[in-house]
Amino acid sequence: MSLLEGLRFTRGDSPLHRLDPRVKFLLTIVIFSSSLIFFEIIPLTIIFILQIPLMIIGKIWREWLKTLKGGLFLAVIIFSTNILSFYFFRGQHLSMDIIEFSLALTIRFLALITSFSVFFLTTSPDKLSLALEKIHIPYEFNFAFITAIRFVPVLAEEAQTIIDAQRSRGLELDKGNFLTRIRKYLPILLPLIINSIRRSLELAESMESRAFGATKNRTNLFELKLTNSDYFWLILMVFITFILIYVKLYLSPFPSLFGNSIIF
Amino acid sequence: MEIVFITKPVTIEEKSLSIIEVKDLSYSYPNASVFALKNINLSIKPGEFIVLTGPSGCGKTTFCRCLNGLIPHFYNGVLTGDAIVSGLSIKDHKIVDLAKTVGMIFQNPDNQIFALTVEKDVAFGLENLGIPKKIMVDEIDWATKLTGIYHLKERGTHELSGGQKQRLTIASVLAMHPKIIVMDEPTSFLDPIGAETIFEVLDKLNKEQGITIILIEHRMDLAVKYADRIIIFDDGQIVNDGEPSEIFSAEETRLLGIGIPKILNLSKKLLQRGFNVNHPLNYENLYQLLIPKLQKVIPNKKISNLNEYDDFSGLHQNKPIITVEDVTFSYPSGVEALKNVSLTIHEGEYVAIMGENGAGKTTLVKHFNGLLKPKKGKILVNDIDVSKTSVAALAQKIGLVFQNPDDQLFAEDVKEEISFALRNFGYNESVINQRVEWALNLLDIKKYKDTSPFILSGGERKRVALASVLAWDPQVLVLDEPTIGQDYGQKEKLKHFLTQLCTQGKTVVIVTHDVEFVAESQPRVVLMAKGSIQADGSAKEIMSNSEALKMCSVSPPEITKLFQKLSSYGFPNDVLDVDEAVNIFTNHLKEIQK
Repeated sequence: MSLLEGLRFTRGDSPLHRLDPRVKFLLTIVIFSSSLIFFEIIPLTIIFILQIPLMIIGKIWREWLKTLKGGLFLAVIIFSTNILSFYFFRGQHLSMDIIEFSLALTIRFLALITSFSVFFLTTSPDKLSLALEKIHIPYEFNFAFITAIRFVPVLAEEAQTIIDAQRSRGLELDKGNFLTRIRKYLPILLPLIINSIRRSLELAESMESRAFGATKNRTNLFELKLTNSDYFWLILMVFITFILIYVKLYLSPFPSLFGNSIIF
Repeated sequence: MEIVFITKPVTIEEKSLSIIEVKDLSYSYPNASVFALKNINLSIKPGEFIVLTGPSGCGKTTFCRCLNGLIPHFYNGVLTGDAIVSGLSIKDHKIVDLAKTVGMIFQNPDNQIFALTVEKDVAFGLENLGIPKKIMVDEIDWATKLTGIYHLKERGTHELSGGQKQRLTIASVLAMHPKIIVMDEPTSFLDPIGAETIFEVLDKLNKEQGITIILIEHRMDLAVKYADRIIIFDDGQIVNDGEPSEIFSAEETRLLGIGIPKILNLSKKLLQRGFNVNHPLNYENLYQLLIPKLQKVIPNKKISNLNEYDDFSGLHQNKPIITVEDVTFSYPSGVEALKNVSLTIHEGEYVAIMGENGAGKTTLVKHFNGLLKPKKGKILVNDIDVSKTSVAALAQKIGLVFQNPDDQLFAEDVKEEISFALRNFGYNESVINQRVEWALNLLDIKKYKDTSPFILSGGERKRVALASVLAWDPQVLVLDEPTIGQDYGQKEKLKHFLTQLCTQGKTVVIVTHDVEFVAESQPRVVLMAKGSIQADGSAKEIMSNSEALKMCSVSPPEITKLFQKLSSYGFPNDVLDVDEAVNIFTNHLKEIQK
């Protein structure tokens, strides 16, 4: 779960936080697709390293490291399954180029989750909602989505309280076999579900009382407007995209780092 | 759409017209056999500050739902009669039309905050109405300034304290320029100072902006200071309606089991004993009325405080049951919730833990049965280290009842709910039956034995939760906020019940914001703020220690406030209760007559 934890937005202020969410999304897409078009270790490592300054600009390197730590387990799985499958497909030889390729794919995975961190760690749900509105997603869906995000921590806290309350009544979740353990979650799930229904009723009452859906022409306190720095990033991205295409078309394939000597 | 956003002063002509006119209003919820409201007739003038009260389940919340059209447009059911709110019939106008006139605020602020920053949440209603951005910015500034949260405008909503959240919900409806604000028990989750701030804000809106305030409240001591008019509901009907002094001297009010404000109660009793003090609504009023009658006293003479109350501090000689030694705890998020807390609770003691929201009170009691383990320091229960024992084993000794019964109720019927813990602890079937029967009788819920706990009222659910813990007869009973959502009658019962348990030798610990409840039962009080204990002593000691109280966001009971003012006349400053105060005054009167 710590992989997802790392993707949770925390309030902050940095050029990256202030960036228009649409531009930032484009940035993520560019990084995302650039790590998909390369297979070699050299360009993927460069892409990965080039994202580090973004983490520093966005002051999110701490959260990002947490995400990487959470992703480490998956990274190990990717690395080892690649090696194993190549080992069995290529005449049972383990060569340096297999290791290099597996390593490249692992780095690609880390580059991908990093590109998501750039977006999710620096974009508040409020801004995300504005961006969704701009691309003409109906406000009702948009609102439901944002409210769901808003209530995740509230529900988590409530679940903890319910667990505490039932443990105080002698419920021992970690005792018994698999089936009895599942049954033991009933006293936790039922109050959680019933409370959620009750809460949604209260939310609905409150929304109605605040004139939700009064007019089709809803206004917004904050409007998304592209600023100079947004344009700067946009131009930078176009520039990078051209470089990437050039590199892919004229400079690849890249030389191998480790050679292809057979280990055993 | 037409946007008119200037608050006009209410003219005399408008004042004579009523802003809410209710005619023969009756309503029953869908699938309900009884009417929740029966033939309500009522007229409310602009600028009134009204408090609605009555025993729980009396229909006050239902009535408020009618005022902005939630009934009949959100809840269907059967509605007869009509209510005209600011010229709009609730039958013919949609909720969105009424929402512009009636600002509705509910009990739990968490379920009304939609945005992640303060200003964005205040904007929510305005955005829905399609107000242009330019106007919106001014409206947000105006509303946040009036409610005193302007400086928090850019904060995240999850960073706010309980009191700040509730002020945000006021700002959010205020921004829509309602003529009427309706609130359902807005202060029940707040610490005493936080609650007073909410009332101050409402009073300001009422006096300066001419907004009509309608408020549901059980805690009369605070509400009566601000209200012009009190309406009492019972069984879906209005049973009394009038000025506070009138209402609280009426015999019906007492019979209905509505809490009479302490100061009014005191003045009533003084009146019977020959002090001519007529219906003061707050301690300052009463002080002014008393002063001329006390002039004859020599200022430096100490008037004795007849202490006929059990002094629970005398029980300190008993053997300690819970010992907290220098405990520090922080949550995974990094918030340090407890800092070097040391506390000893003895067998048979009655302890109230009080303090501001977020002071670490609940965190502390969760350590008692091992739900949380200290990061530093240790906790001993019966001389056994908590960190070496399982929660289930500790729970058998220490029964913890959580604030919200809905966080634990899950079973098919009440009987099953109460036997849940007993089964977990491995009692055999015959013992379980015996215990369940005992607990049902103890809390007077035997008639609900086979009823689903979910269809019971809030107060009843709370009793079921309490019974489900009491059933295994723990040595220590810990209750988190037992008085929230309880009406006066239920609170009185709870008070007697807890004192009774205590005299039977059980140790009782409550976490509470309810100052008057503490003043009446006079337990040992532990005051907390910012994760540490600020003061610890008898109720009298603590309630007269205004410095410590202030630091912990607790305000003394009304009677104590009066006696603190009177202390310059030689009166003791640690009087908490009405009867005690009456005794002191009568003795004093006798002395004067001599």
